[in-house]
Amino acid sequence: MIGCYDFCGHYEWTFEWLREMGGDELVKKYWDEAIHQDSQRHAVELIVGEGIEGMKKYWAHTLEEEAAGYLNTVTDEVYRIDMHECPSKGFLIENGLQQFHDYCDHCIGWIGPLMKRAGFAIDHQHNHCGQCWWEMRRVDSQDAPSAAGKFSSDDVRLRAEWKKPGAEIDSFNHATNVDEKEILPPSL
Amino acid sequence: MNSPPQALPYLDTKPVGAAGFYTAINATFRFILGRFGKEGLLRYWEDIGSRYYRPVTERWSAVGLPAVAEYWRAFFVAEPGAEVEVQELAEHVEVKVLTCPMIAHLREQGREIVPCFCQHCYFVSDAIGRPAGVTVRVEGGAGSCVQRFYLATGAPAVQDMNLITEVRS
Repeated sequence: MIGCYDFCGHYEWTFEWLREMGGDELVKKYWDEAIHQDSQRHAVELIVGEGIEGMKKYWAHTLEEEAAGYLNTVTDEVYRIDMHECPSKGFLIENGLQQFHDYCDHCIGWIGPLMKRAGFAIDHQHNHCGQCWWEMRRVDSQDAPSAAGKFSSDDVRLRAEWKKPGAEIDSFNHATNVDEKEILPPSL
Repeated sequence: MNSPPQALPYLDTKPVGAAGFYTAINATFRFILGRFGKEGLLRYWEDIGSRYYRPVTERWSAVGLPAVAEYWRAFFVAEPGAEVEVQELAEHVEVKVLTCPMIAHLREQGREIVPCFCQHCYFVSDAIGRPAGVTVRVEGGAGSCVQRFYLATGAPAVQDMNLITEVRS
């Protein structure tokens, strides 16, 4: 049986298997069709149905179940996650598992299309070391991503590990698609 | 990280995995079946068994059937909701799955399960075991089954796929 204890390992392995079979486009279709539209349909029901309230319910359950080290910050306008210790990327790092070129892309790969459907857009950065942050706002919001420390008392961007050696930051601005990525130069 | 249970190749900080991931495994099978047909799904199962699970193969090669029993005991301890008995018998290791955690969770969640879902246990385990001289025969499915692991030299006739129950959601 393929199990869930090491799910992140074979999930990451599967990305590369799909890439070998059909390139990066197939991997993106997998994140959208298999994960967003099929596996995570409970997230769709909550977030499309209830907006920010649905996000609170979905991530409170999911991140607790996965034993993540994270902080949520919620206002009427924005739902923010500071991920201090991603359990998923952390599992891969601890076990020395890497087949696919950018595992972290899978999150926006399925959350992006979901947010688009729900009428939200995403500001997001990840550093490939198990740290990331997310801000979800209504798609018509004119607000820019928050400055570090504005919303969160423990903003991941203020932690030393955010820019530790090896950290490479991918950035998404008002995005709903993994292709909207900007790779920041190492100094930023 | 927890102290490494030698039987499992990968370690996690959590003693038990998150059942929420079972829906992704089912969805992955459905996606591959839809894109590449049954042949593609069989290739995926063969590849994940022979490539991703290679450390399991290596341990089974080194230790033989006791490592098979050790693996499945440790594996099911880490799967939420599993009720499984593992016995080392004279000729084989018997894994009696009284409650398959994945099928139980998918049913609880009201998910449509890929009908050939339970065949993955045969094809993945066979791919893991083949280089180690170990093979498996599966009987049952759709929530409970018996999996018998033999040294290939002493195994009964080839797997009868009709003995693996199709899943009805």
